[in-house]
Amino acid sequence: MTNYIPTIGIEVHVELKTKTKIFSNSKNGYGQMANSLTNVVDLGYPGTLPTLNEEVINLAIRAATVLNCKIRKQMHFDRKNYFYPDNPKNYQITQARTPIGYDGYVEINVGGTPKKIYIEEMHIEEDTCKSAHRGDKTLLDFNRAGVPLIEIVTKPCISSGEEAKAYLEKLRETLFYSDISDCKIEEGSMRADANVSIREKEEEPFRTKVEIKNIGSISNVGLSIEKEIERQKKLYENHETFKEQTRRFDDKLQDTVLMRVKETGNDYRYFPEPDIPFVVITDEMIEHAKEKIPMLPDERRKVYGEKGLLEANANKLIQNRSLSDFFNTLLEENIDFKIASNILLGDVSAYLNKEEKSITDTTLTKERFIELVKTYSDGTISSKNLKEMLDSIMESDKSIKDIMQEQGIENISDDAELKQIIHNIILENQESVTDFKNGHDRALKYLMGQVMKETKGKANPRIANEILLEELK
Amino acid sequence: MEEKLTREEVLHVANLARIKLTEEEIEKYQVELKKLLNDVEKINEVKGYDDEILIACWEDNTKLRKDEEGVMLDPKKALENAPSHIGNYIEVPVVIGESEGA
Amino acid sequence: MKYLNKKIEEIHTLLKEGKIKPIDLVEEAFENIENNKELNAYITLNKEEAIKEAKELENIEVDNLLFGLPIALKDNIITKGLRTTCGSHILDNFIPIYDATIVDKIKAKHMIIIGKTNMDEFAMGSSSRTSYFGPPKNPWNKEKICGGSSGGSAATIAARDVLFAIGSDTGGSIRQPASYTGIVGMKPTYGRISRYGLVAFASSLDQMGPMTKNVYENAVLLNAIVGKDEKDLTSANKEEEDFTRLIGKDVKGMKIAVPNFLMGDIVSDEVKNKMNETIKLLKENDITVDFIDVKYLENAMTLYQIIAMGEASSNLARFDGIRYGFQAENVKNIEDLYLETRRQGFGEEVKRRIMVGSYLLSGENAKTYYNKALSIRDDMRKELKNVFKKYDLMIGPTTVTTAYDLTDPMNDPRKSFMDDVLVIPVNMAGLPGMNIPIGFDQKHMPIGMQIIGNSFEEAKMYQLASFIEKELNLNLTPGGEE
Repeated sequence: MTNYIPTIGIEVHVELKTKTKIFSNSKNGYGQMANSLTNVVDLGYPGTLPTLNEEVINLAIRAATVLNCKIRKQMHFDRKNYFYPDNPKNYQITQARTPIGYDGYVEINVGGTPKKIYIEEMHIEEDTCKSAHRGDKTLLDFNRAGVPLIEIVTKPCISSGEEAKAYLEKLRETLFYSDISDCKIEEGSMRADANVSIREKEEEPFRTKVEIKNIGSISNVGLSIEKEIERQKKLYENHETFKEQTRRFDDKLQDTVLMRVKETGNDYRYFPEPDIPFVVITDEMIEHAKEKIPMLPDERRKVYGEKGLLEANANKLIQNRSLSDFFNTLLEENIDFKIASNILLGDVSAYLNKEEKSITDTTLTKERFIELVKTYSDGTISSKNLKEMLDSIMESDKSIKDIMQEQGIENISDDAELKQIIHNIILENQESVTDFKNGHDRALKYLMGQVMKETKGKANPRIANEILLEELK
Repeated sequence: MEEKLTREEVLHVANLARIKLTEEEIEKYQVELKKLLNDVEKINEVKGYDDEILIACWEDNTKLRKDEEGVMLDPKKALENAPSHIGNYIEVPVVIGESEGA
Repeated sequence: MKYLNKKIEEIHTLLKEGKIKPIDLVEEAFENIENNKELNAYITLNKEEAIKEAKELENIEVDNLLFGLPIALKDNIITKGLRTTCGSHILDNFIPIYDATIVDKIKAKHMIIIGKTNMDEFAMGSSSRTSYFGPPKNPWNKEKICGGSSGGSAATIAARDVLFAIGSDTGGSIRQPASYTGIVGMKPTYGRISRYGLVAFASSLDQMGPMTKNVYENAVLLNAIVGKDEKDLTSANKEEEDFTRLIGKDVKGMKIAVPNFLMGDIVSDEVKNKMNETIKLLKENDITVDFIDVKYLENAMTLYQIIAMGEASSNLARFDGIRYGFQAENVKNIEDLYLETRRQGFGEEVKRRIMVGSYLLSGENAKTYYNKALSIRDDMRKELKNVFKKYDLMIGPTTVTTAYDLTDPMNDPRKSFMDDVLVIPVNMAGLPGMNIPIGFDQKHMPIGMQIIGNSFEEAKMYQLASFIEKELNLNLTPGGEE
């Protein structure tokens, strides 16, 4: 079978996290009563005019920055003219000639090989309204009409479904962490379309491309691209040709299905939007947008590694934005970061999941957490203690010390007292001492158990262990 | 120069504009659009201008709007002028296929 | 007793002294309109509401010159709760749910909206004959057009129904009908008045303005309706000013340019002669008048056709029968809904311009024509602005002829643009332009002169206009009684 080279380009629409819409001051919201988030501008009433939300420009500049794009200093908007019921003015305000960002890239890593995915351009535009089909009618809800979007278009430089997935994951993570978008694919705040074509040699011009739309998850983007590559391969192998077309991913079939064959080029009659003057982007605006960029995931991975976290733990933290942000407040402290991450990802996460809370909704402050990590690191409390204390830690504002006292958790750290107890235990369990000296590690565990039994679990496990080993010599 | 547009050209434009034309109108536009095009062809005789575009004659830079929520319409009010509506929705004959836009 | 043919200062004094009440003015206005019904100046009257408002005003102090005065609005200005049709079938049942910014301002002055005036459908035309509601007639001769597209506003002012009307001007639609009906019409600088709530024809050219019987009243009304508006990004950020402040001030030493293009062969002898008389008058009063060439003026028409129709084709796309307005019945599917609603809803001229505009923007045409037109427009604007480095104002005739017969053929699509050939350049450059009457032709139809100013120099235009008005002292009431 011939070896084919796939060429993939991806277009992503991302809804911006603003309070209001791009061209009107009605609320940018999701999941509300139909047509309750509109005004006359969103409905395209005659005589109404667009205004321009400054936060949209701010977030778009930020997006351009984190995607390593160049930023256009003077730009305008264009009208894209087409009739469709979800398009209230029957033109969409977008940027065709002067996209705010261009020539950017995102770095991905597939199977240990780093690669730059190049971004052709990113522009600002308005979202359409939502339509639902019921029998022979279509119902229109204009709540989404005018929600701000950025569209990010890659160069055709992606060569596999794996790379596409890695790109989208990276894009989502980056935009989410920069507070640009929620990037919730299931709510439609991030939507991806892929253009796929294959050819035999690099020198050969691109062959017919197929657009795959409406893919409901990142993993399905990867899957649909792989399936599409296979489909095209088979067609070429059988010496068949096909027309440029749009397909969609069918969840049930786990495969792409034909939506429509593309007619002759669309005629959108783009022209500059006369209702919105040129937008001049100043250096101050760019600085302002950059100031607000929090530490991005790649940087976090690096810092967490330096603090001794395992790669898996670092990634787990980054997957939970609020935990990672909490962790970042600790970075300057003198604590055991490995233990800190273990507590956050272990007991604290379990609590948060069970209670369906975010860490910011609990009473766990940076100061109390530091106390907790220290108390745990020096063995003052055991993991069992931690579990017992957890509800109080998360729900009250008492100090860790006070909670311990309240719950009667008082570990014996007094060396002399422990020494006496351990000495007695060794005398009473000579059989185990012999076993230990013959190399049976199990015996040590048994002896520790006896210590705990004798102290009703109050012995500081680390100190007890040390004394025990000393006595056994 | 050809004296009229083809029928297909006129129908393409009528479809872009979503205006249904009678046979008579199609023929009329074949001639009229061509005439007009010959008229506006004159701008190709204009020489010596620079390539900057002027969207409109304003003097100020864009003033951006603060991201603050304003008054919205009651859903009933939003639908009041729509010839067909049901519940909280505006209703149109069924639409097949996908939006060309966003 | 009649009041609405008096000057604004007199009416104001009567109101202030309590000798008359706003309701007297409102009732008189409706009486006048009824007597002049034949003119067909109005599409919708606001009778009940106007009377109600007038009565409410009796409890409010007379706080400004415009207080309690009836005003007529062109029917492409959005009025909450008052039908707004744009002279079109597609909006003939449209009751807006919001007010235009200009309407807010008018209401803030306690003026009373008397009705919505007749106009060319969506302001597309030059004789108001494309109105779905039939053409308005010229008060000077009912066989004649009153121009367009603000024909109804011009007619009701010329007939002295009311003192004030608002028109809109995309390519001469205030100045040209003002010229045909012998009234004062001002198209201010682009950006002076918020366009929010003016149904868009060509967004980069549209501007509303006052239409009145004299210069002073025009300036007073302009004072009330200008200003930066958060809702219109193209509205200009200018300090408040009094547009009447230069009225009556000496014009000696003013420098005025007459672009040769405005006095070319297309202009009829009668109009040209009257214009030359006026120039002579100015020179006699120590005003410098030079004839000059201005580059690109001859291209303005072509640029206008491309830009105005291109923008219009997009602006009028929203009229699809889904969210408001007329919707065709018995349609099979969504495509059919669009095609039938727009076929039945729009008149012939509007459809023609939408077709042309769509064509000029389609495929490669946008690059070849539209973008090129925008570039040339920029240069034309610079050329015109250059003139004002040496001259205070420009003048010329407003129209090439006086008003023609209502029965003249309408089948030449280029004719309506030719009616506006002298007034279009002003819109292309965003400059202010106004018409003032300067005399009559042999059949006693009014002849108008255009004054063109530099951006935001309307006050200076009123200064010259009021001087000419005073010097000529014409009797501008049709029928002669004053």
